[in-house]
Amino acid sequence: MQVVYRQQIAQEIEELKQEFGSDRSALLPILHVMQERYRYIPDRVLQSIAHAFDIHPAEVEGVVSFYSFFETREKLGKYVIRLCQTISCDMVAKDNVARQLENELGIKFGETTRDGMFTLKYTNCLGLCDQGPAMLVNERLFAGVTPDMVHQILIEARRNFVRSDFPCFIPSNVCRRGPILDNGTEPGEGLRAALEQHPEEIIAIIEASQLRGRGGAGFPTAFKWQLAAQDPDEQKYVVCNADEGEPGTFKDRYLLTEHFEAVLDGMTIAAYTIGASQGYIYLRIEYLYLRDTLLAAITRRRESGLLGDKILGKEGFTFDIDIRMGAGSYVCGEETALIQSLEGERGEPRNRPPFPVDTGFFGHPTIVNNVETFLDATLIVVKGPEWFSQHGTDTSKGTKLFSISGECERPGIYELPFGTSIHDLLKEVGAEDAKAVQIGGAAGRCVSRDHFDRTLGFEDLSTGGSIIVFGPETDMLEVARNFSDFFVDESCGQCTPCRIGNVKIRECITMLEEGRCSSAYLNELIKLGDTMRLASKCGLGQAGGNAFRTIAGAFTDEILGRIPGSD
Amino acid sequence: MSHDSQTDPDQGRAPRSETISDYRRHTDDATLRSIVKATIDGIEIEVPFGTTILDAAKTVGVTIPTLCQHDNLCIAGVCRICVVEVDGERTLHASCSYPITSPIDIRTHTQKIRQARRHILELMLSEHVGECYACCRNGHCELQKLASTYGVDFYRFGHRTEERYGRDDSSPSLVRDMDKCILCRRCVRACIDLQEVGAYNIFNRGYETKVTTFLDRPMWEAVCINCGQCINHCPTGALHSKDMSDDVWAAIDDPEKHVVIQTAPAPRAAIGECFGLEPGTPVTLQLNTAIRHCGFDRVFDTNFAADLTIMEEGAELLQRLYQAVVEEKEVALPLFTTCSPGWVKFLEYFYPEMIPHLSSAKSPQQMFGAVIKTYYAELNDIDPFDIVTVSLMPCTAKKYECNRPEFHDSGFKDVDYVLTTREMAQMIMEVGVNLPDMPESDFDDPFGKATGSGVIFGATGGVMESAIRTVYELVTGESVENLFDHLRIMPVRGFEGIKYAELEIPGTAGVPDLLKEVIPDLDWLAGKTLKVAVAHGTANAKRVLENIRRGGEFADCHFIEFMACSGGCLGGGGQPIPTNRAILEARARGIYEEDEHSSVRKSFENPAIVQLYRDFLTEGPLGSRSHELLHTSYTVRTRMMV
Ligand SMILES: Cc1cc2nc3c(=O)[nH]c(=O)nc-3n(C[C@H](O)[C@H](O)[C@H](O)COP(=O)(O)O)c2cc1C
Ligand code: SF4
Repeated sequence: MQVVYRQQIAQEIEELKQEFGSDRSALLPILHVMQERYRYIPDRVLQSIAHAFDIHPAEVEGVVSFYSFFETREKLGKYVIRLCQTISCDMVAKDNVARQLENELGIKFGETTRDGMFTLKYTNCLGLCDQGPAMLVNERLFAGVTPDMVHQILIEARRNFVRSDFPCFIPSNVCRRGPILDNGTEPGEGLRAALEQHPEEIIAIIEASQLRGRGGAGFPTAFKWQLAAQDPDEQKYVVCNADEGEPGTFKDRYLLTEHFEAVLDGMTIAAYTIGASQGYIYLRIEYLYLRDTLLAAITRRRESGLLGDKILGKEGFTFDIDIRMGAGSYVCGEETALIQSLEGERGEPRNRPPFPVDTGFFGHPTIVNNVETFLDATLIVVKGPEWFSQHGTDTSKGTKLFSISGECERPGIYELPFGTSIHDLLKEVGAEDAKAVQIGGAAGRCVSRDHFDRTLGFEDLSTGGSIIVFGPETDMLEVARNFSDFFVDESCGQCTPCRIGNVKIRECITMLEEGRCSSAYLNELIKLGDTMRLASKCGLGQAGGNAFRTIAGAFTDEILGRIPGSD
Repeated sequence: MSHDSQTDPDQGRAPRSETISDYRRHTDDATLRSIVKATIDGIEIEVPFGTTILDAAKTVGVTIPTLCQHDNLCIAGVCRICVVEVDGERTLHASCSYPITSPIDIRTHTQKIRQARRHILELMLSEHVGECYACCRNGHCELQKLASTYGVDFYRFGHRTEERYGRDDSSPSLVRDMDKCILCRRCVRACIDLQEVGAYNIFNRGYETKVTTFLDRPMWEAVCINCGQCINHCPTGALHSKDMSDDVWAAIDDPEKHVVIQTAPAPRAAIGECFGLEPGTPVTLQLNTAIRHCGFDRVFDTNFAADLTIMEEGAELLQRLYQAVVEEKEVALPLFTTCSPGWVKFLEYFYPEMIPHLSSAKSPQQMFGAVIKTYYAELNDIDPFDIVTVSLMPCTAKKYECNRPEFHDSGFKDVDYVLTTREMAQMIMEVGVNLPDMPESDFDDPFGKATGSGVIFGATGGVMESAIRTVYELVTGESVENLFDHLRIMPVRGFEGIKYAELEIPGTAGVPDLLKEVIPDLDWLAGKTLKVAVAHGTANAKRVLENIRRGGEFADCHFIEFMACSGGCLGGGGQPIPTNRAILEARARGIYEEDEHSSVRKSFENPAIVQLYRDFLTEGPLGSRSHELLHTSYTVRTRMMV
């Protein structure tokens, strides 16, 4: 009996290797298929995969245990319900939805119903922050869930969601459009324009536009491309970072839905510029519902000669794009962790240097760019650098998409020029009474009222687009706790300052909640935040203490000396 | 004549974040050979392109603290204790993983750095359960040492006292106490990179991250070869060997018991390190005195059994060759050595179909155990029931080996207890003796005189060298000295992971008396070329085995020496910590020196061996009594845990 079972699994894996390849980068795709098939990943599957790839079973288990969407312990329900617990949803009464889910199903979070239909789990940011509370049922996203909707959703689930009009697909609220969103380009237009130029000229155009990466770090895009272009390696890669995990960000999901062709143009232009023949879109698993649409678009482009061999007749220019799914890990948005994940490893950031531009995917030069960066690059090639650089400030050119959520009248996507002040922004979104704003998501910083004259831009408040507004009644300690929980959850755990430091911050927040934290200890923790910023290996740990430091700094009076249970 | 295998099954096996040398692929040769200017704390130096900041700092006498870094392993850059300031950079950088590729200005102890290091250390201590005085690494723990260097005098971030994981002492060789783990991952890297066993991995993420086995199984159930390399690479007391010294003390204290100990050569070349001596300082004869001081009744030299192994294994090799060449039988060749129990277990797990290649000869430790409880007992008229055999080994796998059910051929447990080098040193300290101050004394008879051949068993290539010395001379009747100056068979020496050598047999003499029962004649060997190889570290063993599987050049070998640990026994999991390349080389010098000073350096010339075959194993090597006492069989193991 057992032997047959083992052989059967081994055979399934062999077949999947045919489909996904036999190098280790096939690991995650195969694990996804197996999890779907068995509704969890049985121990035997771990073992068989290890043997099939000539690695050790413990290694495979290590990979699987890293990602929150993989389950090894027990069979998941037919429907896995993942309720967003991140700040924006937390502020709009997700607790009531959670309570009602438990009531309806008769189980607690982390459990599966006896009939094997439903599993309840919490998850981190689903990218629906402007329409929370958000919830994922398998790959279906639900927005604005209210306690009384829960019942209806469960009924529809039991009916396998046969009602096609049942709302689950949600476009974003676009509140303010600008040159980027109103670009009016045709599929392939950017690529056609690019192929008329020499790769060096494209780099010059991008350089002239002063485009800086839209993923958060703001690295000059032209420079990144140039470094990769000048590398003599024959094998190079272009990766589109569609991991959008930063709490409060949802603009990439919108771009993938509405401007995907231009993003693909951007990736193809990048490939042409640096000499890459393979591209990957690393799509977060939370956006699984998008995959088929995106794949269809890619297939169409292959058919129309915009991908594949001899693209648009250009001799020697071959490029193709594949989509790789993440598996539930925020840190995989960090570019080196993303590459680790693509290679079928635990998504642990690498030591830098060397950088991906020379030592990326399987050791080859790789450029990783944000979805929006590729879109911008396409438009710059079509419309010229000045079209782009006329907006913004001296060091932060162009307009940028901001994902705005939290306590404001008009949450949604805003395209604004860099240099906009917080003040103006709040007026625009209808939140002039805000107490504070979180710029840059959990990894960002908290700006209090008296600093609302500060501006958005790499020189002042840098952000990948996440802006969360806190209304006058917000308890800032609760905010700090939510961010802190997020980091404890999402730290990859390899380096000491981040792995333990974030836990110490959370412990300190508990002490504050219970009103038993001395100023001296609070100061020590703020200093620890400095150490985390300076000594952590990657941006996650480096930012892990920011929210706490800035909140504790600006709202010291509010958080010290609490009397537990008084509110 | 070293040999680079074309097989490299584990290219890219180590997590990529741990390889910093990759940048070399994209750099031209001239740049790679260039010299780069660096300023460290104001001191200007020039270093070869790609030197890490850590190594560069050493050249100006600055010690940067490290924990996850280990000379034998690839870079991890995870503990962050080694951070330094690089001029112009926003954050600090881990010096262990930062290659210097352009002019650079580095500071190693600014206020920021000192604060960060203190914090990092205190964060580790806040999670480190256990009290230093109740820990086997007390006094030589890397974490403890840093805490003292950095003047930690209170737990700034608290200190966990309740256990999170508990101890696992289910393995006969090692104890895991994960509450003391600081997640440096050195054990994980050792087990994968050096050993290709992969018993451990990192499980979960964030604060829940832990090192564990596949399916979190206890060690006795895990696929583990007991080599102890994880222990030797552990900076704290999270991993240590299963200490049998309490049982040994109990035996010593029992007047009914006759407690004998055999000492292997590798510990003798290393135990001095525990007493502050330079690695490789020979203390063999002082050790004898110290051991007697502890109360052991007799001290024997494992080398005697090593010589015996050569006789039996050498005879087996000739027999198999004869069967293959003359009788044209299907026999398993190349013949694999079996001295290293970790290696044997590795093969049993990962290449069970190759078990027939293993020599049936037991390891020296087990041969000796069997001989003591039979021949020695008979000779001295002691009831074997009252004999307690202890062995001093560099090896934690020996602890498991002596418990293998096969090894009761004397009618009793052939070897009762195994002590590692570290445990022996501890016992000697406990009786208040400073080893280097001990007068010298010899081994006890009847096994007193061993040969240099036995001594060099301790180093990688040693078994092969001994075998060649004996087999060549027995077969050709010619002196090996004619071929190799001073009997130094250099091609099999050294620390290259895989070594290969060929040896021509010019002509043969008549069959020596000792082998009369084994083969009728030797003429068929004349003009043949003997092909041998040596591999140490089971990751290298794997390369060779994969090559054989594919029918590569190693499949044509006749005899291959395998050792589980890098450097052979000298680098064993029971040896003093730390062990690195420089220390290994020093220990090897000690061993080869002892060999050169031996009056007899070929196993078959050992008078005690000659006597044993004359009086006890009268049918000679591979005779029926030999078979009963000195040979064994192996077990097919499965890697299928579920
Ligand atoms: C913890 C962490 C998470 C990140 N997540 C994302 C992400 O979801 N999407 C993204 O584009 N960049 C993310 N980044 C930034 C990437 O590392 C990288 O800088 C970016 O993809 C580069 O693209 P760009 O230059 O076009 O911005 C993240 C960085 C860190 C440290
Ligand atoms: S900072 Fe945190 S997420 Fe980044 S490498 Fe370190 S532990 Fe992992």
